[in-house]
Amino acid sequence: MTTKTATGRVARVIGPVVDIEFPSDSMPAIYNALNVDVTLSGEQRTLTLEVAQHIGDNLVRAISMQPTDGMVRGAEVRDTGAAISVPVGDVTKGHVFNALGESLDVPTSSLDVKERWPIHRQAPAFDQLESKTEMFETGIKVIDLLTPYVKGGKIGLFGGAGVGKTVLIQEMIYRVAENFGGVSVFAGVGERTREGNDLFLEMTETGVINKTALVFGQMDEPPGTRLRVALSALTMAEYFRDVQKQDVLLFIDNIFRFTQAGSEVSTLLGRMPSAVGYQPTLADEMGVLQERITSTRGHSITSMQAIYVPADDITDPAPHTTFTHLDATTVLSRPISELGIYPAVDPLDSTSRILDPRYIGENHFRVANRVKQILQRYKDLQDIIAILGIDELSEEDRILVGRARRIQRFLSQNTFVAKVFTGIDGSFVPLSETIAAFDALANGDYDHIPEQAFFMCGGLDDVERKAKELAK
Amino acid sequence: MGAQLRIYRRRIRSVKATKKITRAMELISASRIVKAQQRVAASSPYARELTRAVSAVASYSNTVHPLTTESKNPKRAGVLIITADRGMAGAYSSSAIKEADGLVVTLRQRGLEVHTYLVGRKAVNYFKFRNRPIKNSWTGFSDNPTFAHAKTISDELITAFLKDAQVDTDGVDELHIVYTEFKSMITQLALNKRMLPLEVVEADAPAPAGLLPMYEFEPNGEAVLNALLPRYIESRVFNALLQSAASEHAARRRAMKSATDNADELIKSLTRLANAARQAEITQEISEIVGGADALASANAGSE
Repeated sequence: MTTKTATGRVARVIGPVVDIEFPSDSMPAIYNALNVDVTLSGEQRTLTLEVAQHIGDNLVRAISMQPTDGMVRGAEVRDTGAAISVPVGDVTKGHVFNALGESLDVPTSSLDVKERWPIHRQAPAFDQLESKTEMFETGIKVIDLLTPYVKGGKIGLFGGAGVGKTVLIQEMIYRVAENFGGVSVFAGVGERTREGNDLFLEMTETGVINKTALVFGQMDEPPGTRLRVALSALTMAEYFRDVQKQDVLLFIDNIFRFTQAGSEVSTLLGRMPSAVGYQPTLADEMGVLQERITSTRGHSITSMQAIYVPADDITDPAPHTTFTHLDATTVLSRPISELGIYPAVDPLDSTSRILDPRYIGENHFRVANRVKQILQRYKDLQDIIAILGIDELSEEDRILVGRARRIQRFLSQNTFVAKVFTGIDGSFVPLSETIAAFDALANGDYDHIPEQAFFMCGGLDDVERKAKELAK
Repeated sequence: MGAQLRIYRRRIRSVKATKKITRAMELISASRIVKAQQRVAASSPYARELTRAVSAVASYSNTVHPLTTESKNPKRAGVLIITADRGMAGAYSSSAIKEADGLVVTLRQRGLEVHTYLVGRKAVNYFKFRNRPIKNSWTGFSDNPTFAHAKTISDELITAFLKDAQVDTDGVDELHIVYTEFKSMITQLALNKRMLPLEVVEADAPAPAGLLPMYEFEPNGEAVLNALLPRYIESRVFNALLQSAASEHAARRRAMKSATDNADELIKSLTRLANAARQAEITQEISEIVGGADALASANAGSE
């Protein structure tokens, strides 16, 4: 590949997709960044494009990372000879970036950037991968018990619109990032701009910002940016892992927007749509991203990804392709959020790779399974209850339903982030306490306490205190 | 997507099957209430007259009879609980059991030991599940009791009552009955009544002025009571069984009616969901076909 920069000219502009003609001896490579100067209402800007296809006849098809307003045919395009790169290292901590690595909170020129890495990189080789498995305690009962997270693993938070994905991921940031020794990287992909702003201000307030890098390509950005912003954040995280040898937390909200952007771009690139109108390269794109989010020997990237589920249909290709890459999947469900139970984790759909006695121990596994069994039975009985009423159940089932309802309520928990809504401080429940509590609940030791008392509680002490209050 | 539609269809099918059953049971109960009601009405005059006669004997003879005198130091009480054999009757059985539980608590507070006699499988299951002792139980006729059933039950109860509770652990000093009174098609009420010793009702009306009616008992008051009281218990039990049966049918009809309505409601909402899923599937297929055809057309156009 030549590093000599060639120049071409714009041949066609279709929204964010631009066709550019280059001299046949100096065609830019795929993924190379191209620059174009445009003047729009008297203001001069430099746009960045990324080469996506060579379409023949000396034309390349590129995706713009900014709105292409003001771009004209014939405009001069400079090949930078390299892929888009982002600043990496300590300089990224405490700052907000866009997909191109430009700082958004301070002028980019004021940053002392020592090193830049291209955002397209190879995934680590198989022999480099971490094989150890260790549980990652979050202090949220439902998660620790039913979908235990893996240290250095990939965690997905699935959920439809408005069931609390972002709240849960921010809760995780609050719980984990604050007490975490390493570095955190947050990627905001196609979500609300306001949330990014709130997060930044909040982190500045708590001081977590000093060991956090934020990368945003929110919903106001063109698809090219939303498609690349996750890679930009990931590149920063990889630097911390590979060069600084640190443990990294990577939060991505929301990975579905990455797929969605890919789909938008794909159609504009002229690819034939595949199932449900998604891009034919859906699994490949997801694989390229997910394979890089991984832990290498001794140094981990623990990632938490929020995944929007279109129309609450978990079998939709976008969430479904993501499923296979994850170690733990926490599914947030609408019927549960409608009951007012937060976090609205679906105890039956959520699972984890390490929900296995080999990793979490016999006792934890047994209790988790008991809880799932009880809840499954309750779910099976729901139609009968809806039609005939609870009086028609057998004695055993009636007791089981009572227990299931208590368990269901006890799976809710007061969170730190929701303090502004509920006025109740969050709680951290140690894993051993969670297991003991659910074991006792499944055994019926708490059948005498009213259901209400189990709502939005931390440990069993909270339940007993609440029961006393209710009894008054 | 397709999976979702299939799941909805399966659920609709199962709810429809349930609805057929509940609908059938509603109709059966509705047809049986009338007959049960008639039997209650038919048994009433005899029961009424018998009660009058018994109270007359008890009040106007000065015989001391074990069936009418309260034990000075009661030790045990027998409770007969009448419930249904089958479920699907809403809260019918559970409210009778609840009433009985309340009665048992008051009896215990008085320091009495309680022996339970049960009618109906629902009560038997309830007691068995909780490992509570059952003295005796009768099942299989709750929806259509005959006098023979009442007789069997009464015989056992009277035998237990006649035994001396102070020495015999099978004997009881009091007999209570818990049943569901059939007030109307809409109202049925779970009640508890003491059958023995008789709560001697002084004449219903205020004592008429003048002379009290004169009664003469042949051969004597005790013999009359001996003969009369078992008849009286039998008729009380029989009447309670009939009332309960009528209540059971009414409760079942109402419960099944609301179950059918609930099933209808569920079918309606599931059908809507299934239709939406079906429509979504169709829309998606169309857009995929159109998109595909479009892409092919433009690809072909490009090559020409």
